[in-house]
Amino acid sequence: MAQAAGNLIEVTDLVVKYGDHTVIDGMSFNVRRGETFVILGGSGSGKSTLLRNLVGLMRPYSGCIMFDGNDFTQMSDHDRLEMRKKMGMCFQGSALFGSMTVAENVAMPLLEHTKLERSTIDIMVKIKLELVGLGGFEDYMPAELSGGMRKRAGLARAMAMDPEVIFYDEPSAGLDPIVGAGLDMLILKLKQTFSLTSVVVTHELPSVELIADQVCMLDQGGVAELGTLDEVKRSSNAYVQQFFARRPSEEGDDDARYLRTLRGDVDRD
Amino acid sequence: MTAILGYTGRAFLLGTHAFLAACSLIVDTLFWIVVAPLQGKGLRVRATVEQFVRVGYSSLPIVMLITFLLGAILAMQSAYQLSRFGVAYLVPNLVAVAAVRELAPLMTAILITGRSGSAFTAEIGTMKVSEEIDALEVMGLNPTKYLVVPKFIGTTLAVPLVTMVATFTMILGGFAISTAYLGQDPRVYLESSADAITMKDFVNGFTKSVFFAMVICVVGVYRGFEVEGGAEGVGKKTTSSVVTSIFLIVVLDVLFTYLFFSES
Ligand SMILES: Nc1ncnc2c1ncn2[C@@H]1O[C@H](COP(=O)(O)OP(=O)(O)O)[C@@H](O)[C@H]1O
Ligand SMILES: [Mg+2]
Repeated sequence: MAQAAGNLIEVTDLVVKYGDHTVIDGMSFNVRRGETFVILGGSGSGKSTLLRNLVGLMRPYSGCIMFDGNDFTQMSDHDRLEMRKKMGMCFQGSALFGSMTVAENVAMPLLEHTKLERSTIDIMVKIKLELVGLGGFEDYMPAELSGGMRKRAGLARAMAMDPEVIFYDEPSAGLDPIVGAGLDMLILKLKQTFSLTSVVVTHELPSVELIADQVCMLDQGGVAELGTLDEVKRSSNAYVQQFFARRPSEEGDDDARYLRTLRGDVDRD
Repeated sequence: MTAILGYTGRAFLLGTHAFLAACSLIVDTLFWIVVAPLQGKGLRVRATVEQFVRVGYSSLPIVMLITFLLGAILAMQSAYQLSRFGVAYLVPNLVAVAAVRELAPLMTAILITGRSGSAFTAEIGTMKVSEEIDALEVMGLNPTKYLVVPKFIGTTLAVPLVTMVATFTMILGGFAISTAYLGQDPRVYLESSADAITMKDFVNGFTKSVFFAMVICVVGVYRGFEVEGGAEGVGKKTTSSVVTSIFLIVVLDVLFTYLFFSES
């Protein structure tokens, strides 16, 4: 591949199924090193599923995911574990361990993967928490934090091992616009400070405007449009137009399709 | 007819599938207990002790109370029957042997299933629903090592020890009733109890309790990993965890009792 040096992640002809239900049907795109790559798509379009494949939580049905020049779908468990240390993930619901304090959550990967002194780890945890604006919250339990703070704590944990890339699953979903904007600023800050690569799943348009270097629009299990935000906005694809204009589907059409999705027999015409 | 066959066939396949999956969980667990520490991958000692205390020590009050009462019931019921044949002096023998070989291991296992087996399912199920299991994996932390192994070791150590205590309190229950209400001599009662129990009875009960412990842990954990959907899924699997675990414990008990009978 000609421009492989510039690409951190290369996805080729990815197909993902749950049983007989095909969620991703032949998807290809590249994520360049250091950019913020935004994945846009409606609810149930397979955004979370795509992320789960990118971090190796799921094996795709077919297709290839190259991470840093290595095929992520074919490598041994041991190599995949090594690769994972270069990745961090921010989950939709933050996925903090409820039985541990915020500091213990952030310390977990460090305790497992490094042989650092406890005191060093404590300092690193403090630095990470200050980075996401949670200095002083070390001893709080996740249940005592607000939604936005929990997302930040999850981000601090994802940053613990100084990864090359962070995957965000709907970082600002369920947050009020101000807290959501704060998270966007944080994503930008991390990108500028550490030249982090970010893969962000979202359907918040204001957030896309702010952070996206490249936008990938999903529809019907494939890539509907790929490019910078302006290029995607100019797209002639009907679904993309509809998404950006926030125009609802023809009445009834959407609901019928949703019902068929629930039954698992989505037609892909 | 074909419907029945189809149903049976599907149930059989599902059962086989669950069995194989549970086996692979056990193999994985044993790997992280036996092989991984040798490779320097460590064991979570603190979490293991925590589980041991939670499963064993914390269950003592309820287990002791219930087995004490059961011992008392057993003494009353057997005195009622045995005195009709004029052999009421056999009550201590019956209570002691039943407690050691059968009732203490079984009651302890059932009570700990209710307390801890269900808690294992709920804990792991909740973690699965809230993506915490995924988070562990993304961080390169093995869920078996982190969640299953401490529970497995803790339970396997705790249940046999609690069973021993339960045996003792059950005999004590029979002793209390017999001496207080049935007019038996305390010293004679204790002596006949001690005479009645052989080493073999003891080994029988102990072996059972070790296997019961493994069933409680494996079923609890397995059902937890099966959870899908939200809080509702956790509730469903917790119920089915308790039912499956008690069922398997009773089936194992039958097998064990049969084996021990047939060889003597
Ligand atoms: N564990 C699963 N088993 C079966 N189907 C699933 C599972 N997870 C998600 N799906 C289906 O895959 C589709 C995409 O889901 P998801 O990736 O969560 O979408 P998004 O994150 O874009 O909202 C949905 O139709 C959903 O019903
Ligand atoms: Mg999602």
